[in-house]
Amino acid sequence: MQPLRTVSRKKTVLRVLFLFAGIALVVLYLLWPSISNGVVDYADIRDHFKYGSIGSESANGIPYWIWKALPELFADKLPGKGYASLGFIQEEGQDRPVGFSKRRVFIDRVSLNCGVCHTGSVRDAPGAAPRIITGMPANTMELESYTRFLLACANDERFNVDQLMDAIERVGGRLNFVERYVYRHLAIPQTKAGLLTTAARLTFLNRQPQWGPGRVDTFNPYKALQFNFPMEKLPDEEIVGTVDLPSIWQQRPREGMNLHWDGDNSSVEERNKSAALGAGVTPVTIDLPRIKRIEDWLLDATPPAYPYPIDSALAAQGAPLYRQYCADCHGQDGRNLTGKYLGQVVAVDEVGTDRHRLDSYTYELLENQNTLFAGYPWRFSKFRKTNGYANSPLDGIWLRAPYLHNGSVPTLRDLLNAPETRPKMFYRGNDVYDRENLGFVSTLPETAGRRFFLFDTSLPGNSSAGHRYGLNLKAADKNALIEFMKTF
Amino acid sequence: MWRKFILIVAVIVGVLAAVGWWYLVRQVPDNYASDEEHFKYASIGMEDSAGMPYWLWLVMPRMFPEKLPGPGGYTSLGITWEEGKEMPVGFTKTTIGIPRVGVNCAACHTTAVRKTPDDKPQLILGGPAHQFDIQAYQRFLIACAKDSRFTADAILKELTYTHRFSFIEKAIYRYVIIPYTRRGLLEQEKQFEWMNLRPDWGPGRTDMNPFKLMVLKLKDDRSVGNTDMMAIWNERKHEGFQRHSDGLNPMVNEASYAAALATGATGKSIDIAAIQRVNQWLLDLPSPKFPFPINPKLAERGKLLFDQQCTMCHAFGAPRVGKLVPLADIGTDPNRAQHWTTEAATEFNRQFGKYSWGFSHFQGNTGGYVAPALDGIWARAPYLHNGSVPSLQDLLKPVESRPKTFYRGYDVYDPVSVGFISNVESRRGRGFFKFDTALPGNGNGGHVYGTTLPPADKTALIEYLKTF
Repeated sequence: MQPLRTVSRKKTVLRVLFLFAGIALVVLYLLWPSISNGVVDYADIRDHFKYGSIGSESANGIPYWIWKALPELFADKLPGKGYASLGFIQEEGQDRPVGFSKRRVFIDRVSLNCGVCHTGSVRDAPGAAPRIITGMPANTMELESYTRFLLACANDERFNVDQLMDAIERVGGRLNFVERYVYRHLAIPQTKAGLLTTAARLTFLNRQPQWGPGRVDTFNPYKALQFNFPMEKLPDEEIVGTVDLPSIWQQRPREGMNLHWDGDNSSVEERNKSAALGAGVTPVTIDLPRIKRIEDWLLDATPPAYPYPIDSALAAQGAPLYRQYCADCHGQDGRNLTGKYLGQVVAVDEVGTDRHRLDSYTYELLENQNTLFAGYPWRFSKFRKTNGYANSPLDGIWLRAPYLHNGSVPTLRDLLNAPETRPKMFYRGNDVYDRENLGFVSTLPETAGRRFFLFDTSLPGNSSAGHRYGLNLKAADKNALIEFMKTF
Repeated sequence: MWRKFILIVAVIVGVLAAVGWWYLVRQVPDNYASDEEHFKYASIGMEDSAGMPYWLWLVMPRMFPEKLPGPGGYTSLGITWEEGKEMPVGFTKTTIGIPRVGVNCAACHTTAVRKTPDDKPQLILGGPAHQFDIQAYQRFLIACAKDSRFTADAILKELTYTHRFSFIEKAIYRYVIIPYTRRGLLEQEKQFEWMNLRPDWGPGRTDMNPFKLMVLKLKDDRSVGNTDMMAIWNERKHEGFQRHSDGLNPMVNEASYAAALATGATGKSIDIAAIQRVNQWLLDLPSPKFPFPINPKLAERGKLLFDQQCTMCHAFGAPRVGKLVPLADIGTDPNRAQHWTTEAATEFNRQFGKYSWGFSHFQGNTGGYVAPALDGIWARAPYLHNGSVPSLQDLLKPVESRPKTFYRGYDVYDPVSVGFISNVESRRGRGFFKFDTALPGNGNGGHVYGTTLPPADKTALIEYLKTF
């Protein structure tokens, strides 16, 4: 009897072991997508820049399938079809528009990266294929509208588990039952709560003129999101800080210049980390190696050459004019970034441009910024309060329209006109190039079904005054100067 | 068997003790190369007893911004960072197991001043911190601790945006640091209850009552000892002066140690060497120059008036400077001169006499105020011992025409009246402190000297005082 019993006991033990092993395998299989915490790496640096993760997903990402389903469920809150209708660049064959990264943090999440604000598009004519150009200011996408869309979705009663799960199915989400559980009980409620918190902090947006495409307020959202300042107590004089997005080529020669429009930071690296915070990373989640890859590339990345004909004789006439009137402040040309006053701050009273952006960056904010990245060797220490705007290099200036820090002057030709005669209103967001005036077409309210944003220079922060340089040049000289600047 | 058991227990206890020592006790001394940096940022030994864990301190304004007087986090309390520095001036970050935040001499003795509202603040080391509301700072931390959101869950969640804790750290914060900090602050609330029965200090003022009631544990006699923070430069020239506005002690060392105890240091934790280094440096720290133009001719005329009218009490080397002037003569608000009793002084000397650096010179019931030297007087506004008169111009007015109420805390300077702008209610959302001279201890009477001079003479006198 004894041996028999032993055998059967052994058998039982084995059976139980097999059962557990089986269950473990099934659980592992089901959980695998979640626990294989992964980031997609792109071989091509440009793809990394446009679609790679910089670490903004864990704290500020939207679960992938929610993000996919929102335009389906809330189509009524978008001006057209999908996120592309907000001016984001959708490349063929890509799952997400440029600037949207994806990373698995338990579940796949979507967030923003550097490419969202620093990739633009240029068309030769309406209907022509766009040239997608990395490193240039995003000229068509509306970051504020995107933010408002997400917040409006969270505020809508349709943002609930049942309707979202249905919508996820409609957009092709095939979730297994573990994933379904996670979405139902964690992802959807948490995303809603997170967005509503953000919405409460961003109500100050209602006190600002609309950003429109290609613009962002850098430091007011910073006050609200990084530090939870009670924004309703901030005075009007600092509540509008909306600026044009900048180009980010050739960072090596920029090291030590006063960076940001008001020149508030002279360290490329610190400025980059600050911008990454704006994209949604935190000091804890920031993906330094992947940002480093971008930083290294940007050190010497150059803007593309002007793709349309240049009258070289005329450009040659413009060169000495440029040297005489512009080079001291803006560098010798598009590659030689040296000049007596280049990278230095000119007092706002002297340059005369709109002062809202300057005033939006306060000493009080700087004091709080000093605690960012506390505990890390790269804690912020280079921010300074200035009294004006920095002279920036003009590399790729043809791609950086509209001009001035607030993007209030549509073309270079307009900038060479007296402020009184610059356009009072114009349209932003068109990517068709205006070769005559150097800038994007700014006179059309819509093209091929896409409506553009009417920019009103009379609104707070939007003034096109100031920078009264070169105004008195003869028309022929202005032509020559503009022709020369096409070579930058 | 037993041996093994004992060994295992010993190892466990040992490991726990080591972890506890590392995270709760281990002290890392700070070391600043320059005396200025030492003054601004070095510990004077109060973090162990009264410090705030750094990571908690960091997120309090982000979690509870509604409890602050305005936007801008701690800056709304008149706390000022220099560009590039992690800690505000007067705030220390020192490791006692975990990083902790405390205050030092510079918190109350650094003046922030701006020439125009758009300027960055300039910091004058050794000057009174007229802008810093230390009472409101303390109350803010207490209010945070009282809030139902002051929980380990909520604080650690907020901190996930800022700092990655190790597993052990997280446990220590959850089970030790956060609950004990909360308990400590709630305890402080009880200890500070007496403050609620008295007029608020407002920015730039303090009181000796914390010693009487919280350290010496004397019976609350409802006295009000509110007094303006002081300038502490040029100490060598002040040798032998009575210290404190009401002349409680002629020894600078004893006064400075008492001030350190006021920040929360205990007789055991106080860092005498660190304070000595500050005192040494203060010996020859010059008073700041007036940052606006001065009319030399006018100032010269003012000097004649000063020599006639003011020298006796206010010039270095003069017979009455640095000495007590009886209340009956000076006529300023009597509260402060009466609040520090002989009983308090005796008890103070007794309780802290046992230390090698201990007290023996504190005196009470002085019944008057010290006639101060006027070095850097422009930066020492508001004036009188209780900071009840906003500017020199106002001080030279007859008592009834001095402002009955005004605002304290704004750091923009008015070079005409010679004082900080005091009629601005708020700036950038930060409400300033409304000072009401009708409240106990806030009276702006007395010191009527010079109030009957002809206006031109007053102007000349003020011009001369700018040169101090």
